[in-house]
Amino acid sequence: MSILLTLVDISKTYHLGHNQVMALKNVNLVVNKGEFTALQGPSGSGKSTLLNLCGLLDRFDEGRYLIGDCDISTLNKHQLTLMRREQIGFVFQGFNLIPVMTVFENVEYPLLLAGLASRLRREQTLAILEHVGLIEFVKHLPDQLSGGQRQRVAIARALVKKPPLVIADEPTANLDTKTAHHVIELMQTLGRDSGTTFLIATHDERMAGRCDRVLQLMDGALL
Amino acid sequence: MKWLWFAYKNVLRNRRHSLMTLLVTAVGTASVLIAGGFGLYTYESLQEMSARESGHVVMAHSDFFNQEEETPLEYGLADHETLKQSIEQEQQIRMVLPRLQFSGLISNGDKSLIFSGTGVDPDGEFYVKGPFLKMLSGKILTTQTTIEAEPQVMLAKNLAKQLNAEIGSSLTLLTTTTDGVLNALDVQVQGIFSVGVPELDKRLLFVALSTAQELLVTEKVSTLSVYLYETDQTAFMEKKLTQDYPDLVTQPWWEQAFYYFKVRALYDRIFGVLGVMIILIVFFSVTNTLSMTVMERTRETGTLLAMGTLPRQIVRNFILEAVLIGLAGALVGMLIAAASSISVIFLDIQMPPPPGRSENYPLYIYMSSWLYGLTMLAVMGICIGAAWFTSHKAANKPIVEALAHV
Repeated sequence: MSILLTLVDISKTYHLGHNQVMALKNVNLVVNKGEFTALQGPSGSGKSTLLNLCGLLDRFDEGRYLIGDCDISTLNKHQLTLMRREQIGFVFQGFNLIPVMTVFENVEYPLLLAGLASRLRREQTLAILEHVGLIEFVKHLPDQLSGGQRQRVAIARALVKKPPLVIADEPTANLDTKTAHHVIELMQTLGRDSGTTFLIATHDERMAGRCDRVLQLMDGALL
Repeated sequence: MKWLWFAYKNVLRNRRHSLMTLLVTAVGTASVLIAGGFGLYTYESLQEMSARESGHVVMAHSDFFNQEEETPLEYGLADHETLKQSIEQEQQIRMVLPRLQFSGLISNGDKSLIFSGTGVDPDGEFYVKGPFLKMLSGKILTTQTTIEAEPQVMLAKNLAKQLNAEIGSSLTLLTTTTDGVLNALDVQVQGIFSVGVPELDKRLLFVALSTAQELLVTEKVSTLSVYLYETDQTAFMEKKLTQDYPDLVTQPWWEQAFYYFKVRALYDRIFGVLGVMIILIVFFSVTNTLSMTVMERTRETGTLLAMGTLPRQIVRNFILEAVLIGLAGALVGMLIAAASSISVIFLDIQMPPPPGRSENYPLYIYMSSWLYGLTMLAVMGICIGAAWFTSHKAANKPIVEALAHV
């Protein structure tokens, strides 16, 4: 298996007034392509911080981070944005769908950003919506859907551009057991089909149990 | 197109906010257009009045404007008929009117007052003055053909009042001839008029040019007033006449229109302050609404940034929303202004006299395409500025902070 993510001695400190909080301490991690990795740990252990750094939403203070062969510390803000656009999909705990956009438009959005032609956008969007079982909801607005349906839209949105990496922060936290089970299954199926690497922060033991690897974080350090 | 569609949906998302901003923009636009339209009407009326008063170009003896005459008409034009015919050959010229300025005393037998008189060509003079000379009673002067008839005079209203003169009253004009000898002439009041300026209405009178020449015992006139078909041809024609008649001196109407420039300067300031206030109100209103919108959508902005939307694309989206609201507001404002412009024509609203004048004048609001276009551009500019001002900070906020916004 080839390596997708390489984190070497990554540290991150937050400055809260006069106090300094070390959120990550010398984290070393290698994630292979297509791997389904769960991050577990108590609240405040640094899961979200690590996800944010891996998803290029935040910057680290020390260490090296590589996506494939690309050294992230050499990229400027604009390049980071383009890298997120092309290489990374996000699934948020609160779904974070755009309320004025229909299901179709929400899923189509990353392809619009990528500059795909209208016909290609339509084909790819409908294909993934078919895959997540929401083809009959294309014209619905997010607030007309259930929690599970919304998360399926969010997963479709994250995967529609076929990114090498998907970052998911507590994707099942707001879902009931049955729906959570469906969502986990869907992510695994789509991940396997597309060869996408998943990095998932979760408290959900069922979710962690179905991942290829489970990493434990404690006080900003990987155990 | 897709971005415009999203902007449209976002505008409809918070209808109350959008409607309020649209209304403020509409009222602001309408206010600018109504005030501006009224200003344009006032300026054009004053310009027209000034041009009709003096003529678009005044031609005179080379020393007429800069030397004091020792005897009346020392710097007058002797061969004015030939000159008139020659000047009138130009296609842009509607007519050339000779004028003879003189002053003296006017008496009713019991009382004498100072007057400032003008000898005019009755056929042309009152035609070009049009609505800017208000006849209060009697008739305008006519070209008299019977030599026995008593010469006619038209008196300004306050002069007539002070002399207790009515239509048909006989008065005597007393002045100095071109040789410096006193001369008198009996005249009959033909009409009473007002020029709308109380001070001038105490002094002015008109007689036929032949009457003035008879009184001053001369064949000369003071000036030739050149009237054009188009006022905006004035500068060109003045230059041309200067070249064609190098022995004479020319003056465009604006060099004699002190009143026009004073009123214009006053109105420019009033309308300028009003315009700035309206612009500020619209700007702060749009800014306020957009600030609330941007704040409410911080988390959503964070999501879009996370997905790879560039900050400038976020700003552009907010600008598109502001432009849609601004465009709709400006169009509604234009409709209000256009409806107002049309309504006042039928309502016959009278405005109080402008500074230094005594006559009311009708309210008209011009619909000028460039004013409408400029206002639309200004409203768009304000909306774009307000959208940029409110959204660029949010678009550059750290993504993690934006996503954590509650």
